[in-house]
Amino acid sequence: MPDRVHDNMAGAVAALDYDAELMLRVKDGDSASFAVLLQKHRSPVVHFLYRMVQNQAVAEELAQEVFLRVYRSRSSYEPAAKFTTWLFRIATHLALNAIRDGKHERSQSRLDDENSVVSAAQVTDGRPSAEQDLVHRARMDEIRRAIALLPDKQRAAVLMHKYHEMEYTQIAKALNCSESAVKSLLFRAYESLRARLAHMA
Amino acid sequence: MRCPTANQGNAELLLAHAARTLDAERAAVLEEHIARCPACREYYAAQVAVWAALDSWDAPPLSADFDRRLYSRIEAAPHWDFGRFLRPLFGLRALPVAAAACLVLAAAAWLERPGASTPARAPQSAAVQALPPDQAENTLQEMEMIQDFSSLVQADSTDPRM
Repeated sequence: MPDRVHDNMAGAVAALDYDAELMLRVKDGDSASFAVLLQKHRSPVVHFLYRMVQNQAVAEELAQEVFLRVYRSRSSYEPAAKFTTWLFRIATHLALNAIRDGKHERSQSRLDDENSVVSAAQVTDGRPSAEQDLVHRARMDEIRRAIALLPDKQRAAVLMHKYHEMEYTQIAKALNCSESAVKSLLFRAYESLRARLAHMA
Repeated sequence: MRCPTANQGNAELLLAHAARTLDAERAAVLEEHIARCPACREYYAAQVAVWAALDSWDAPPLSADFDRRLYSRIEAAPHWDFGRFLRPLFGLRALPVAAAACLVLAAAAWLERPGASTPARAPQSAAVQALPPDQAENTLQEMEMIQDFSSLVQADSTDPRM
């Protein structure tokens, strides 16, 4: 009887979530469905990871690991939640580990150096857009730093909320915490961001 | 309405309104309040500015060879999926009983091994009176524990923290 209830629940979730249905097909050995999932979700996952670690090479490396884990765990997949929630839970877990291990820091400093070299070259180029470009870059740097200064979980919550339009319940499952904890994380994160970025209006 | 800036719960309304996720009815009530409340006006304007700033931050495009690299990794590292082979076993209702029986047999073999010291025997009448209820209770507890573990393994199989 519990097995039947579980199967019914899995069926209901799969019916609501086409991605979960695709993943169930991957579980049954359909690699074409994995290609569809990859095509649909690779950019959102890489963009989320990029904004978490703020380094494109590391973000792509982590995203590869995310999809590798999805593929490897296909046989044990059960659609207990939305597919994207599961996907972002893996991505968040890997991103938080990478941040904790300081994987992104070496590359980040190199990236910052490259950015300043490009900006300096464009300023001396004397083109009319150079100043505007410099202002734009300074603005982007400020935004990136404001996000980077957020505590890791607040950062993840804001990125999922802002860029991936995830609901509180989904973010809570991805971060493995309660919905009220997510509300609190977002409240504090936006408070910090308002203090740092509101002048940009 | 109560001023949204008065507590965190109500401030969620302002956050949702800045994100344009509030339904039309509640948005209209909030707009009305914002129009006559300087604190909420300031809060809302700052949140809209944050939202606009974050909107302007684009992520770089993906590398063209992202998929190729991923499929290379999938092919290069064949993964032994032990879960696929073991999972059916955890679904068997007889497994906890079999595991309990194995534990009992292993314990018996250990106690009866050559050279093992023989524990002092309790008077037979006392053993007969005291052991059966304890044994039954212990066996039931072991079976329950193994069943719990079995269901935990099934639940963990969806956990990404592998």
